[in-house]
This record gives sequence, C-alpha cells and structure tokens, in this order.
Amino acid sequence: MIKINSKNVDVFYGKKQALFNINLDIEENQVTALIGPSGCGKSTFLRCLNRMNDVIDICKVQGQIIINNFDINDKSCDVVRLREKIGMVFQKPNPFPKTIYENVSYGPTIHGMAQSKSEMDEIVETSLKKAALWEEIKDRLHEPGTGLSGGQQQRLCIARAISVKPEVILMDEPCSALDPIATAQIEELIDELKKDHTIIIVTHSMAQAARVSQNTGFFHLGELIEHGSTDKIFKNPENKRTQDYITGRFG
Amino acid sequence: MVEAPHTVKSYEEELKNLNNNIIKMGGFCEEALGKAIQAITTRNSDNAEAVIKDDEKIDKFETLIEQQVVNLIALRQPMAIDLRETVTALKISSDLERIGDLAKNISKRTLLLNENLPKNLTEALVRVSSNVQKQLKSILDSYLDRSSAMAVNVWESDEHIDDLTNLCMQEVIKYLKEDEKNLDDGTHLLFVTKNIERIGDHTTNVAEQVYYLVTGEYLEGDRPKGTEPIVSGEK
Repeated sequence: MIKINSKNVDVFYGKKQALFNINLDIEENQVTALIGPSGCGKSTFLRCLNRMNDVIDICKVQGQIIINNFDINDKSCDVVRLREKIGMVFQKPNPFPKTIYENVSYGPTIHGMAQSKSEMDEIVETSLKKAALWEEIKDRLHEPGTGLSGGQQQRLCIARAISVKPEVILMDEPCSALDPIATAQIEELIDELKKDHTIIIVTHSMAQAARVSQNTGFFHLGELIEHGSTDKIFKNPENKRTQDYITGRFG
Repeated sequence: MVEAPHTVKSYEEELKNLNNNIIKMGGFCEEALGKAIQAITTRNSDNAEAVIKDDEKIDKFETLIEQQVVNLIALRQPMAIDLRETVTALKISSDLERIGDLAKNISKRTLLLNENLPKNLTEALVRVSSNVQKQLKSILDSYLDRSSAMAVNVWESDEHIDDLTNLCMQEVIKYLKEDEKNLDDGTHLLFVTKNIERIGDHTTNVAEQVYYLVTGEYLEGDRPKGTEPIVSGEK
C-alpha cells in the first residue's frame, strides 16, 4: 500500500531549483532508501515530507505530497501535528541536554499523550525497548542523554522519535557518525521498526541501502532518475546513470 | 554496451583481469576440443597426449578465477553489471573446466582406439563435434562482445547437436552389432560421442550465463531438446 504519494514536487532555494518534478510513491511498512551523490536533492526531498524546509526562508516547495489522503503542503496543514505523525532522525545524534527519561518523554508531554506519571513511564520504557536501548540504560534513566556513546545517543534519538507513535520515520544518514557495531544495531532496529512504521532513509552507503531497504530511489542533479525494488536497482538497474553511480563509475 | 571506467582504477583492472582470464581459459578449451577431435579422426596420439597434459592448465585457471571472484566479492562488493560479471565468471569457469575434463577423457579413450575406424563412424563423429566446436567458438565470442543475441543463438542450436548425437550413437550401435570384436572400440566411441554432447550442454550453460550477464534476465523456458536420447539399441 502506498503511504506517501508525491506528485510533481519542485523545490527552489531562491532562484536555484533543487528538485525537478519528483513523483515518488513510498510504500507503507517498508524501508525506502534514497541514494545519490552529494547535492543531488535526496535530503531536500526527505525534508519535504515533514515540511522541514519551512524553516529555510528562501525555500519554496511546489507540488503535492499526499499522506493519508491529505496534501501536507495545503495551508490548512497543522505542521506540529504533521511532525508528530512524521518523525525524524538526523545524521549526528542530537539528544536534548536533558536526562534520558526527559529526552523520550518530551514529545509525549507536549502532545499530551499521557494522563499520569505511570502512563508516561510506560511510554518511555516501551520506546526505549523498541529502540533496543532499554537494557543498557534502564538503571540510569535520570542521567544526561548526552553522556551516552554515539550509537546509544542515536538510539535515544530514535526512541525519542518513536515515543509519539509516528506513522513515518525519516532518517537522514543515521549511521554516518557511528561505528560498524552501532550501525548494525541501528540497521537491525530499522528492520524491526518497519513493522509499525514506514521508514525513509537517506544514505551515502550503497551497501547500507542494499541491506536495509526494500525500495530504493536514485537522485541525481535534483531529479529522481530511477525508483524500484532494491534488489532490482542493485542487480540490474534500468538507467545507465543509476548503474554508473552504484558501480562507482561516476566521473 | 561499453561501460565507462570505474573511478577506482585498481577495481577496473581487477574486473578486466577476471574477464581476460575467462577468455584465455575459453581459448584453451577450444584448443583442447579441437586437438581431441583431430586426434580421434586422424588417430594422432601426440595430439591426444597434449590434451591430457594441458588439462592441468585449464584446471589452474578455474582455481585462479575462483580466487579472483572471492576476492572481488569480499573486498569490492560489486553491484549491478559488476556483480553479474563476477558471479557469471565463477559459473562459466566451472563449465569450461568440465569441458576441459571431457576433452581429456575423449583423448584418453582415443589412445585406446583402433587406428582404422570405419569412415562412416569418424564422419558421424566429425558432424557432431564440428557443430559443438562452432558453438563453443560462438559462445566465447558472444562473451567477448557481450552479445545476448549470439548467446540465444547458441542456446537454441543445442537441439541440433542432440539430433546429431543420436545419429552418431546409432552408427556406433550398428558397428557394435556387426562384430563382437568391435566391443571395445564401440564402447569407447559411445562415451566419446556422449562426451561431445556433454560439451555441447556445458556450452549451452555458458550461453545462459552470457545472456544473464548482458541482460540481467534469465533465459526463460525449457531448454530446446532434440530427439530423445537412445537408451538401448533399436529392437
């Protein structure tokens, strides 16, 4: 089933056009990887999906992005509610300078998701368990989140993202600052999370895209060159530019 | 289609090297088959012995190619066309190695054969073998040229080889029935014929690999088959 349907999406930074007529369907409860060289527009596209581009003054987004039959670019869209439904995890782990517990409870608090302390405790515990971090930190919930290792911080950020039960999780190079062990833990987590969430991941690691995703989109110079099942893209892509990129032939 | 070179030159070199080794190995197989057939039709023991001795070279290529493939997978993680190059090299080399073995077996039997075989038998053998040789040459050319059309051609021609094999088998069986003294030679010739046909089958395997290499798709459908093989002589 299609979760996100983007139609004729153009993005401009001032006069410079960054994305050209992107039509990309994202399947529900699957992992979609977006790949392409630096500056190809993949992160820009990712940021369109929860209107993160709104915070850049000169950025203008055209076209439709339809989630649950609703165009999120419509004026009536409540961006706070939107970002509750569409969480995001960034390249560098960025926990709040607060305790581990507060990092996770922050979202549910502002969205009024818990009526009591015990309900909140439960949300925090479930989120940390889903992020595969609980066992490691359950005895130090009230220590600062910034004191954790890089891989743990990233899992804390994932716990924070899933605490508000988003339908979609956007990940912008979530493992680029992590070692191979922490990377494997995040990848395993992505595999688990797709049961309950639709995941879109931007990655520079082709091997990672191949490992974690079911669908892959290849961007180049602001265009979506090819989109299809990951195994097709990595075994027998249709477009020559896709093949040149994934085989390391890009001059 | 000619691919642009890889940004990493050493990777480009490794793939090129793998490709060249398949071509060299294929060349040795062609030579072995040619000599083996010549040895049987002209009863040239020197040629037969050379084929037996040179099989080692073909075996060494198989080992070398296998090592190169394992290294590429472990160290380069090839994708798309490069992945297909790597995987098909492994499979093609194992078919070529079998072709080498079969040529060697033909030669071993040749050394045991009577020097004066009836002409109709050698002619029947040449009919099959020249077709198989042609097939082998075509498929190596199609690998070199990355031609899926040529690969399909080879694949489809296997049917004809099956038919010629059966005709040849019938000749040998007739020969066997003529005289009890023909038993040794006749039995060897049955195996020789079967070996030539098997070489044709391995060539067809290579055709499937070349097709996959070039197109990324598998050749669909059953392999074309000729007349049913003869299990026992006619009643």
